[in-house]
Amino acid sequence: MQNPSELNKNMLEGDLQDQVLKDYHSDLGITQTHGVKLAGIRTQSGYDLKELEVCYQTLGVLSPRKDNAILICHALSGNAHVAGLDPQNRRPGWWDFHVGPGKSIDTDKFFVICSNILGGCNGSTGPTSINPITGRPYATDFPPVTIRDMVAAQVRLVDFLGIPKLFAAVGGSMGGMQALVWALDYPDRLHACIPIATCMAHSPMQIAFNEVGRQAIMTDPNWRGGHYDDHHRPEHGLAVARMVGHVTYLSEYSMHQKFGRKLQRPPRPEDLFPDFFSVESYLKYQGESFVKRFDPNSYLYITKALDRFDLLEGRHGRDAVRHVQARFLIISFESDWLYPPSQSRELVKTLKRSNVAVTYLNLETPYGHDSFLIRNPDFSRAVSHFLNSEYRSLGA
Amino acid sequence: MYRLLYDQVIKWIPEKSRVLDLGTGDGAFLKRLIETRQVRGEGVEKNGDLAARCIERGLVVHQGDILEGLDQYGLNAFDYVLLLGTFQELGDPEQILREAFRVGQRVVISYSNFAHWRIRLQLLFTGHSPVTRSLPSPWYRTPNLHFFSILDFQEFCQTIGIREIEHAYFNQRGCVRWRPNLRGELGLSLLEANDLEPSRED
Repeated sequence: MQNPSELNKNMLEGDLQDQVLKDYHSDLGITQTHGVKLAGIRTQSGYDLKELEVCYQTLGVLSPRKDNAILICHALSGNAHVAGLDPQNRRPGWWDFHVGPGKSIDTDKFFVICSNILGGCNGSTGPTSINPITGRPYATDFPPVTIRDMVAAQVRLVDFLGIPKLFAAVGGSMGGMQALVWALDYPDRLHACIPIATCMAHSPMQIAFNEVGRQAIMTDPNWRGGHYDDHHRPEHGLAVARMVGHVTYLSEYSMHQKFGRKLQRPPRPEDLFPDFFSVESYLKYQGESFVKRFDPNSYLYITKALDRFDLLEGRHGRDAVRHVQARFLIISFESDWLYPPSQSRELVKTLKRSNVAVTYLNLETPYGHDSFLIRNPDFSRAVSHFLNSEYRSLGA
Repeated sequence: MYRLLYDQVIKWIPEKSRVLDLGTGDGAFLKRLIETRQVRGEGVEKNGDLAARCIERGLVVHQGDILEGLDQYGLNAFDYVLLLGTFQELGDPEQILREAFRVGQRVVISYSNFAHWRIRLQLLFTGHSPVTRSLPSPWYRTPNLHFFSILDFQEFCQTIGIREIEHAYFNQRGCVRWRPNLRGELGLSLLEANDLEPSRED
């Protein structure tokens, strides 16, 4: 096993979700999530979801003018617990670095909302929910979900919270896609949009990595077409999917820094295929801990939603973007090879050419796609300055 | 000298026009332009720290290298494109002007005059590459790639099909009207495309 100090060091570079931090202090203290049952939606695929349950967290206070609400959209493996400590396991929220009093998304000023996505497995309706028709979990009877369906569920939640117009939608990776859908499909309900390390549509490379993950799950003998029971889940497949995914979130530099060619233990002559490199045991650990908190079917649904996402949906950029009112801060990371800066620039171009106000930053952060989950003063400053100056201009 | 130059630019830009400031730095001038002229302005800046300062000022800024083109902007997206202070540092000035005239109607450029008398004298009497206040770095450290005079610049404009609508020259004492090519340290030009073929829309 890795020694604890080693684990802690890795911790500070992202993956808040997967590890328990003993001495982690959050300025927010313990934060709760709530569940709410809302009117169902019709999915893009035409399926009527009769019930919609949304798990969400709110931080800060909604202003009397209801103009300070920021929706934070989580990525593939995220959940509603965005910041503060989980009451049960005391894990910090996945964006605790960035969200809290005096932080870049300042909960003293803004009313922060974060909800688990539709199709997820952390409290919102998804393949693990009970199908009201059969009384058993949907599993793969759950309809296909899209990023736009996820946003439709968020719209229901924002309605429920009585907020006519969001001040901002913020998200990295898949969360960025959701923020973009808000700006395009609900133009009069969003003032500012911060898509981070994201794209308008997946490239074949991004689809390919997801497909490797899906195949790992679906070829696990325990998958059984998605109808597995709690004691025989395709955990092995999911762990492998997570391992592949995790590699794509890192960079050559961050792997070099984190692991180098460090050995877990020296190989013995009789060893056949042991894990002797730290990187191997780290990935295995990532896979195993992910399996405990994530549903394999959910992983399939969400990665498929990512792959089929197309912001423009065949429309010409100008037609699709024509109604956008939001002002944008778009951020990419130079070392992100999964969602490379070129994809963000394409997005910038599409928006700018339709006269949308877009500020674009390409940060030098060396940690690959994971960069948005890592403590980073340049990133924090940019986000907080943008939010504050936009909020000032709103009041003016 | 630069204060006068910036004042002059502000005089040339009509109220409420659309302005793109290339190499906008920390955005101080763009901010001033927006406040005094109510222009709709945005900047392009390569340096991330400076771009972050622009965000702090509430400006719209694009972090990018103008040498890689201005692909993110459409045809005639702006009334004025500003290139203040970096023109002699740009690798292919002609290509950059084509891009600037694709995205904007008029272009404002400032540049250092390499034929200022102090520079001429230094070269003549010392035999060394000149180091002056407007050319502060020795030859091996200077960001300047092109060394040209006011006359050269005018000739260049004619050659590539650009018309100079307005110009102004400055030295440390103020505006220069008499014999600018000898006495001016900075040139400032308001340009319009004549026969210049703007770079193509993709």
